[in-house]
Amino acid sequence: MNNSMRLFSKVVWAEACKQHRNYFNNRAIYISLFVWPVFSFLSAYYSYSAFDIRGTFISYLSDDNILLFLLIGYMAMSFFRSVVQSAWRFSMERQAGTLEYIYLSPANRMAVLLGNALSSVFESSVVMLIFGIMIMYYQRNALNIDVLGLISVMIIFVVMALLWGVFLNACFLYSRDTDFLFTVLEEPMEIFAGVKIPVVIFPYWARVISLIFPLTYILEALREVCLNHADIASVRIILIISIAIIIVLLTVTLVTIRVVEKHMRKSGNVILF
Amino acid sequence: MNFKVFCATIKKGIQIRIRAYPVSFMVGCILTSFYTILGSYLMYHYFFLGQLSESFELNARTTDYMSYAIVGSLMYQFIVRTCLNVSRTLITELREGTLESLMLAPFKRTSYFLGNMTMQTVLTIGETAVAAVIGIAFGFRISDFNLYHFIVAISLSLYGFFGLSLMLGCVMLYTRDTYISQNTLFAIIFLVCGITFPKEALPYCLQLFGNVIPVTDAVTLMRASLLGGLTDSEFLYLGLQEFILGTIYIVAGMPLMKHVEHIALEQMEG
Amino acid sequence: MIEVQNLQKIYNVKRRQSFFKSYKESIEAVKDISMKIEAGQIVGLLGINGAGKTTTIKMLTTLIEPTSGTYSFDGINAIENPSFVKNKINMIAGGERMIYWRLTAYENLWYYGQLYGIDNNTLKNRIESLLQMVGLEDKANLPVETFSKGMKQRLQIARGMINDPKYIFLDEPTIGLDAVVTKELHDEIRKLSKVREKGILLTSHYLAEVEELCDYIYLVNKGELVVEGTKKDLTEYVYNRKQYCFSVQGMDENIIMRLHNYLISLDIDVEIVQQDDRAIITSKFELSSALAQFAIKENLIIKELYEIEPSLEQAVIKLSQQICREAESIA
Repeated sequence: MNNSMRLFSKVVWAEACKQHRNYFNNRAIYISLFVWPVFSFLSAYYSYSAFDIRGTFISYLSDDNILLFLLIGYMAMSFFRSVVQSAWRFSMERQAGTLEYIYLSPANRMAVLLGNALSSVFESSVVMLIFGIMIMYYQRNALNIDVLGLISVMIIFVVMALLWGVFLNACFLYSRDTDFLFTVLEEPMEIFAGVKIPVVIFPYWARVISLIFPLTYILEALREVCLNHADIASVRIILIISIAIIIVLLTVTLVTIRVVEKHMRKSGNVILF
Repeated sequence: MNFKVFCATIKKGIQIRIRAYPVSFMVGCILTSFYTILGSYLMYHYFFLGQLSESFELNARTTDYMSYAIVGSLMYQFIVRTCLNVSRTLITELREGTLESLMLAPFKRTSYFLGNMTMQTVLTIGETAVAAVIGIAFGFRISDFNLYHFIVAISLSLYGFFGLSLMLGCVMLYTRDTYISQNTLFAIIFLVCGITFPKEALPYCLQLFGNVIPVTDAVTLMRASLLGGLTDSEFLYLGLQEFILGTIYIVAGMPLMKHVEHIALEQMEG
Repeated sequence: MIEVQNLQKIYNVKRRQSFFKSYKESIEAVKDISMKIEAGQIVGLLGINGAGKTTTIKMLTTLIEPTSGTYSFDGINAIENPSFVKNKINMIAGGERMIYWRLTAYENLWYYGQLYGIDNNTLKNRIESLLQMVGLEDKANLPVETFSKGMKQRLQIARGMINDPKYIFLDEPTIGLDAVVTKELHDEIRKLSKVREKGILLTSHYLAEVEELCDYIYLVNKGELVVEGTKKDLTEYVYNRKQYCFSVQGMDENIIMRLHNYLISLDIDVEIVQQDDRAIITSKFELSSALAQFAIKENLIIKELYEIEPSLEQAVIKLSQQICREAESIA
C-alpha cells in the first residue's frame, strides 16, 4: 500500500514537472494566462459603468465592492479556465504519439491526469492570483471576510478545480472532437457560472444551464464568505453540493479511465466518444 | 493597383474556402457574439433591472442599451473575422511554404491584400447577418437609419480595419505567432474601443489607447448611422479622424510589411 | 521467453454510411500468428504494409488484447497480467515523434523513468549510462528540438531502455535515416542483443536491415504467418531454383527462342524472361556450362553470364506475388 502510494506520487510529480517544462518554458504563455483574463475582467468591470448599481437587488452589492465581486469571479474562473486550455494541449499528446508510451508503461493513469491538472491549475493561475490579491489588499475596506469560512471554502475550491482539471483531461484525451468541447466550455462558463453576473438573478432557463458548471456553486460560496461574512453554516448547502460534485467528478474519471483502458485493448484506439 | 492580381487572389481564396470552409471557426465566432449579446442581455434586464447610469446616456447618446451593445459586438465579430484572416494570409503562406514562390513573382502587395480583404469582407458580411438576426431576438432595433452615413461608416471601417490588419500581419509574420498576438489584440480592442460600453468610462490613459486604434471611431460611426445620436458635423469630424488614422496605418504598414517579409524569408530554415 | 500461439485479432469498426446510418464491420487484422522470442535473439517480423505487423506488436506489448490465442511471457499468462509485462518490455518506434521536443534529453528520460517507478538514484545512474551508450552525454541538457534526426532516434533508443527491459520491440526504427546513422543504429541494436542479452523483435520496411540483423525471421502476409526460419531457410524456401543472367551480343527474341529449344533438347525445364538485352533464366539445374556451350555452338560472343545471388528482398517480393497469384487463381 505504502509502496503504491509512493509510485503514485512519483508519477504525479513527474507529470507535473514534464508539463511545466513542456509548456511553461515559453514566456509568451503568461500573456495568455494573465493579460487576457485581466483584460476581460476589466472589460466586464467597465461594462458595469453603463448601469446604475443601485438598480440591483443583490443586497450585499454596492459601488464599493462591485469590483471585488467581479475580481473574485475572474480569479476563480482563471483556475477553472486554465484547465480547459491545458486539457486541450494535453490531448495533443495523442497526436504526438507520447500518449502511447505513457500507456505502454505501468504508470497509474489517474496519477498522470492528476499531475497534469496540478501543474496547469497552479501555474496557470498564479499570476492572476497575485494580481487579484494585490487588488483585494488595496480594496480591503470593501471586504467582509469570514476567515474560517474562507479557509474551508478555499480547500474545497482547490480540490474541485483539480478534479475538474482531471475530468477535463480525461474528456479531451479520449474524445474525437476536442475543438467542440473547447467551444462549449470556454465562453459559456464565463456567462453561466456567474462570473460577471450573479446566478441568482438568472431567468429560470439560464439557471438550469448554470447548474452544469461546478464553478457556479463554489464561486457563490467564495463570494459569500469574502463579501458577505457568511460562515460555514450559512454556506453549508453549497459546500455539501460541492463535495458531492467532487465525488461525482472523481468517480466518473476513474470509471472513464477503466473503460478507456478496456476499450483501447479491444480496439487499439484510445478515442472513446 | 493591379486588377489581375486582385482577381486572382480573390479566386484563390474562394477556392480554398470552398474546399475547406472553417466551419467550426465560423460557428465559434458567431457563438462568441451570441454570448456577448446574451451577457449584455442578462446584465441589462436581470442584473440591473434596466436601470442605466446617467453617464451612459450622456456618452452613448442613446437610451437603447441592447442595440448599443449589439452593434458593438457585431462590429467586434466583423473585425475579428476580417482582421484575422487578412493578417494571417502571409504567415499562412510562410507556414505552407508558398511565401517564397509568392515573393518571386513581381507583383504589388496592395492588390494582394486588397483581394484578400474583399473576399473576406463578403464572407464576413454573411456571418454578421446571421449574428444580427440573433441580435434582433435580444432587442436589436435600428431606430434612426441613415443610408448615406451607413455607406460612409462601412467604407471608412473597412479602410481602418485594413490598416489594422496590415499592422497585425507584420507582428504575426515577425514573431511567427498567430495565437498570442491576435488574441491579445482582440482583448485590447474589446476593452478600449467602446464595444459594449462607452470608452469614456475608462481611465484616461486607456481612452488614449483606444483613440489610436482605428476601431473605436469605426464603431461609433456605425452606431450613429444605425441608431443616430450624432450631428452631421460630429459625424464628419469622426469620419475624417478615422480616415486619417487608417491612412497612417496603411502608409506605415505597407513598407513595414515588405521589410518584415524579407526578415521572415531570411530566417527561414533550410 | 515470449511465446505466442495462434494469435488472432478482429477489430469491430463502425463505418459511417451517412449522418444517421452506420454499420459495423469486422476486420481481421491478424488471423493466426505463432512466434517465439528468446533473450539475446533478434527476431524479425517482415511483411508488406497492412500485413498485420503493427497489430502483432501492439498485442505483444499488451496495448491491445488478442481476440483469441495464448501469450506466455516468461511462463506467465500475459493477457491476464499486462502490468507484469509492461514492467519488462519497452518499445522503440521510428520517426521523430513520441518524445517531448521542448524537454531536454535528460528530462525526457527522467520523465519516462518516473512512469516506471524507478528509484531516483538508480534512475540517475541509468540515464547517465544510457546517454553515454547512445553518445548523447554532452547533449543531455539541450532541448530535443535542437537535435538532428539521428540524435532524436538515438534518444528513442535510450528511452526504450529506461526500464532496463528484458524484451524490446523495435517498430521500423531506422525509418527516414541516412545510411551512416542507420549503420550506427544497427551496431547499437546488435549490441543490445548480443552484449546485453535483450530479446528483440524488429519490424522493418527495409529488408536489407532484417537480413543483416535478424537471427530468425517471421514472414507475415494478410495477418497470417507465411513462413519462418533463419535467413538461409527463408531464401531457400523461395529459391529452390537457380537464376542466371545471360547476355550475348545482338541478343534478340530469335536467339532466346533458339536458347529455349536448345535447353529443352537437353531435357532441361526452364523459364526464360527477356529483360532488355539480357535473358533471365530460372531452372532447378546448374546451367552455366550449358549456356556457355550454347554460345559456342551458335557462335555468339558472351557479354554477361552469372548466377543471380538470391536476396531476402527478392524472396519477399516473389513470395508476396506468389501468394497474390494463388489467391487470384482461387477466386
